[in-house]
Amino acid sequence: MGFDIARVKAEWEGFQTPVAQGRYPVEFDPIRRHCHMVDDTNPLFLEQGICPPVMVDYFASRGAWPPGEADILGIVRKIPTPGDRLINMNHEFEWMRYVRVGERLAVSHKVVSVDLKPIKLDPLAIWIKTESRIADERGEVVALRRNQILVHRTPEQVKAGWIRPEAAA
Amino acid sequence: MSQRYWEDVREGEALPGFALELTMTRMVQQVSGTQDFYPVHHDRDFACSGGHPDIFVNTAFTRAALCRLLTDWAGPAGFVKRLGFQMRRYHLLGDTMLVQGKVVKKYRQDGAGAVDLEIWAENAREGIATPGTATVHLPFRPA
Repeated sequence: MGFDIARVKAEWEGFQTPVAQGRYPVEFDPIRRHCHMVDDTNPLFLEQGICPPVMVDYFASRGAWPPGEADILGIVRKIPTPGDRLINMNHEFEWMRYVRVGERLAVSHKVVSVDLKPIKLDPLAIWIKTESRIADERGEVVALRRNQILVHRTPEQVKAGWIRPEAAA
Repeated sequence: MSQRYWEDVREGEALPGFALELTMTRMVQQVSGTQDFYPVHHDRDFACSGGHPDIFVNTAFTRAALCRLLTDWAGPAGFVKRLGFQMRRYHLLGDTMLVQGKVVKKYRQDGAGAVDLEIWAENAREGIATPGTATVHLPFRPA
């Protein structure tokens, strides 16, 4: 049983989701939970209604749980990789402006590249680059996000030669 | 919260960093604060079965810490233009994450006072586990 990276690249590189609206508007309560987890007492966020810049994708998505089509990990899981364990390795944001409580955001994601690069843990490790465009209610982009996600198998799966059935050539 | 002005920034200047102890309570706050329920960040058995030494903090927690470093430093009229980082090594349950940075370069960009920074998160086991870079726009000091 093998794995055909050329087929996966041809099928998935360039794949783009339609624009999906965030499930909820920008709200104070998630902002406060976000701030408290890192002891951030900034009044801009806790009292004045500015959204911490790194939260725009949170409010542009349907949330991480339950996983939805708009969530980037949900898309990555659909790519037929040999393994099913994910790690976010590189993360980059660029902002055009800050957003405020009450605004509604939307997002579209693109799969930029899918590459086979072995790691110590797994000779069939897959590296996936994605780009996300986060926009406001007028469709104007407020932020761009780039991710590089590593998908690998567990040591037991590698030892057993296991590959996800949907990835087997 | 005081305002930092572009004219007052020196290249090589260190940002006031901070420490976050990664207790189990903090790991629970991480799940609540990020709504990231992937078990590698809260289920020790699941994490170890995947070849990881223990549960570790996720991307959203890490970027929240790095972003706090920048927004605390920049002040209320500052603007974080860009933030990028690499998750090279783990910040595990039990570690203390030190979040720090320094000014690399200051310049004018599109009418704004731009500052490029090196930022990172380190811990005692791994040293710098999460290196990154950022660009912040600061206001000019009123005449």
